[in-house]
Amino acid sequence: MNNFAEIIWVQEFRKVTYYSVSINGEGALYDQFIDKHTVENSEKLNHILAWLEKIGDKIGAYEQYFRNEAETGDARALPPKGRNREPVYVEFSEVTGKNENTPNNLRLYCFRANESVVFLFNGDVKTADTAQNCDNVREHFKTANTLSKLLDQAFVNKDIRWKDDFSNIIVEDDFKLEWD
Amino acid sequence: MILNSNGTKNSTLEIMKKSKSTITSWLKEHGDPEIDAFIEKNLAITEKVRLALEAKNWNRVQLAEAMDKSPSEVSKWLTGMHNLTLKSIIKMEQALGVDLIHCEPIKEYEYVFLGMINSTRDLKKKKADYVTSTEMSEYSLAM
Repeated sequence: MNNFAEIIWVQEFRKVTYYSVSINGEGALYDQFIDKHTVENSEKLNHILAWLEKIGDKIGAYEQYFRNEAETGDARALPPKGRNREPVYVEFSEVTGKNENTPNNLRLYCFRANESVVFLFNGDVKTADTAQNCDNVREHFKTANTLSKLLDQAFVNKDIRWKDDFSNIIVEDDFKLEWD
Repeated sequence: MILNSNGTKNSTLEIMKKSKSTITSWLKEHGDPEIDAFIEKNLAITEKVRLALEAKNWNRVQLAEAMDKSPSEVSKWLTGMHNLTLKSIIKMEQALGVDLIHCEPIKEYEYVFLGMINSTRDLKKKKADYVTSTEMSEYSLAM
């Protein structure tokens, strides 16, 4: 096994606990996402984080709120959308000088374990029709699918276990996801 | 720390590695209150729709059919990030038979009890004159 990933805690809300992972001892993927897009796409990031907070605090991570990005694993992404449609949100347009409905093409890939636990990975601004064809997000998309598959398997193998009420997870101190 | 059945230690929040920043700390430092309010109100509406669908035992396709809309359009409305128009909200209210936005009714009159006055003949006359004069003004306003 050449690669390993550790689980990183991000934040616990009343309805959802968010985790991330760090790969091969580097910083958490969530931190990498935040560091980059706080500078480059602050408003788009604001929408995603405000949404994560509200879902986490008041609603729960229901399937309808996530965008299906499954390929080899059961990956999801934010922001959510209707099938075959771009999500829109209000953003100030420098061109028209008005607040307009704008596609939020910033993607945060994630793995929704259930309504109470979500793993946040990395992402970027998607510039092509499919993630596979986009130079910005292709690697994040592939990594998200790899990690989602490994996490799914870890739940099956009971390396990651659920608390009795399925409200959170339990893992051993030295637990790592490993892959080639 | 929790001990599992085979005696090994399990990670809890105290020992699990943490991210550099939390979602809330980012929002406190960089967040725009307008975006926060937009997401909060939007999700409040979509959550009401989700619960109304559950109560009616409908799925989103049935809601779309009731509104003569495509299922993908309705899915987009219910993501919690779409900028819903008032027209879309009214359409969903009509289809589901629920109020998604509650507006306070416009007040026409407000009656305030000011207390009791021991009556004398003089006050009774004044009271009768007052009632007559307000009735007349209401009549003229109605005209």
